[in-house]
Amino acid sequence: MKNIDDIDEITRALARVEPGALGGRPSDAGARTLLASITAEEPGPPVAHPPRRHRPRRLVLGLAGAALLAVGIVMAQSLVQSGVSPSYAVTKDPDGVVYVKVRDFHDAAGLTKQLAELNVPAIVDYAPPGKWCKEPRGTYVEDIPRGLYSVPENIPGEETSRGWQMRINTKLFKPGQTFVWTIGEEGTTTILMNDPVAPCVLVPDESHKVKEEKPDYLTATKKGHSLAGFRVDEKTVGEVLPELRKRGLKVTYLIMGIPEGNPGGFGELRTQTAPVGDDWIVWEAEESIRKPGVIRLLVTDKRYDKNPVYGGPRDNVIKE
Amino acid sequence: MGDERARLEAVYRETYGQITAYAARRCHSPQDAADVVAETFAIAWRRIGELPDGEEATLWLYGVARKVLANHYRGEVRRQALSVELDAEMADLYGASPDSGVEVKAIAQIFRALPDDDRELLSLVAWECLDRQEIATVLGLSRNAVRIRLHRARRRFARALAEADVRFRSESRLIPAERQL
Repeated sequence: MKNIDDIDEITRALARVEPGALGGRPSDAGARTLLASITAEEPGPPVAHPPRRHRPRRLVLGLAGAALLAVGIVMAQSLVQSGVSPSYAVTKDPDGVVYVKVRDFHDAAGLTKQLAELNVPAIVDYAPPGKWCKEPRGTYVEDIPRGLYSVPENIPGEETSRGWQMRINTKLFKPGQTFVWTIGEEGTTTILMNDPVAPCVLVPDESHKVKEEKPDYLTATKKGHSLAGFRVDEKTVGEVLPELRKRGLKVTYLIMGIPEGNPGGFGELRTQTAPVGDDWIVWEAEESIRKPGVIRLLVTDKRYDKNPVYGGPRDNVIKE
Repeated sequence: MGDERARLEAVYRETYGQITAYAARRCHSPQDAADVVAETFAIAWRRIGELPDGEEATLWLYGVARKVLANHYRGEVRRQALSVELDAEMADLYGASPDSGVEVKAIAQIFRALPDDDRELLSLVAWECLDRQEIATVLGLSRNAVRIRLHRARRRFARALAEADVRFRSESRLIPAERQL
């Protein structure tokens, strides 16, 4: 058995980028473009919270994950069945640019055939859940010509489905290169490889599985949590803060966005540590898992007719 | 709003080199690494209110990148704004393959077969050069849990190497030339 230093030294030898060294430079063109594209959007909002229902929290999480998955799959199937969109679509314009849209992950053979007819050197394999093609299948092309492909992106108007589209300029393929797609519900990879590419041999592999994310925050006012025994819902910030101070807890604020008519559920406008008015309304308190001792108050700047977190009184949902 | 943008830009400048290195060390292809980098910083922007200051920002981003990597799949992680330029810049990091040489290749294969959590712990120590407290922050674990898990991970890796009967003529062969002491 080797000692600890040996093990760490052996691990160090496996690093693609030398241990402790930096990778890319933020001043490079691609890095600057990426930053610009990220900050071109508004920060914060796109998190939406449906109202919480009466179920043990763990169960809610499990169901939420499963439901999300089911929606994605059901949507893909219904699109196929209704004939609105085929499971995949490949078109080629006179410049040799091919547009690929993939909506159904099962029909790898159909997609391969259509790509072949348009002279796109590509191999498509479907990987069922829990399996993946045995790697390595070939060596990766390292100098990828500019403009060879656009990155896969959402199909406009179908953002909630799991389909994607991409553009490939077939004129830029060099001889002996093949696009290798592995597609499945659990993941899709697109890699440009040098020939020969080994056929896909499915082996058990969980590494491409979508893992359920653990929440970063938990309800703090429930039994066993940092604000147990102290209700905050529908109180003002001024009424809540003294108790937090008493318990030695730090506070951050999640400013909630309430949809028209307060139907239940809310969006996250922003999270801040700067104080809000004492007359703001608190709807729930959550504790950070990463940073014990930090409470996040879910607040609005005015009172609403019902608690947006629970779509009504908290007592209807949490009974303890 | 302007403040937030300036803040992300500052964090980006500070951490881009570390996050790209983190992604490149763990992804098989430059394209995958570019995805992970892009999605990690996109999440940082969406959750700018939670992004800590200073050194902590790097650890927080490692934590995000780790989740992105775990959830990575092309259809969702790929962003519209990603460019082929970025892929090319990431590909530069893939020039010198560490897997050259029969011994290192065999070791790399054994390393890849370790449980995800073991690999990540060993990598955070050996590749990102983090100490236990820093690893605890990245993984959301206690320092003690890190200590115990790291010990087990090292032991499992050592055992797997021994079982596979991987031999190396001398330790120094495994150390990249420029790191030889």
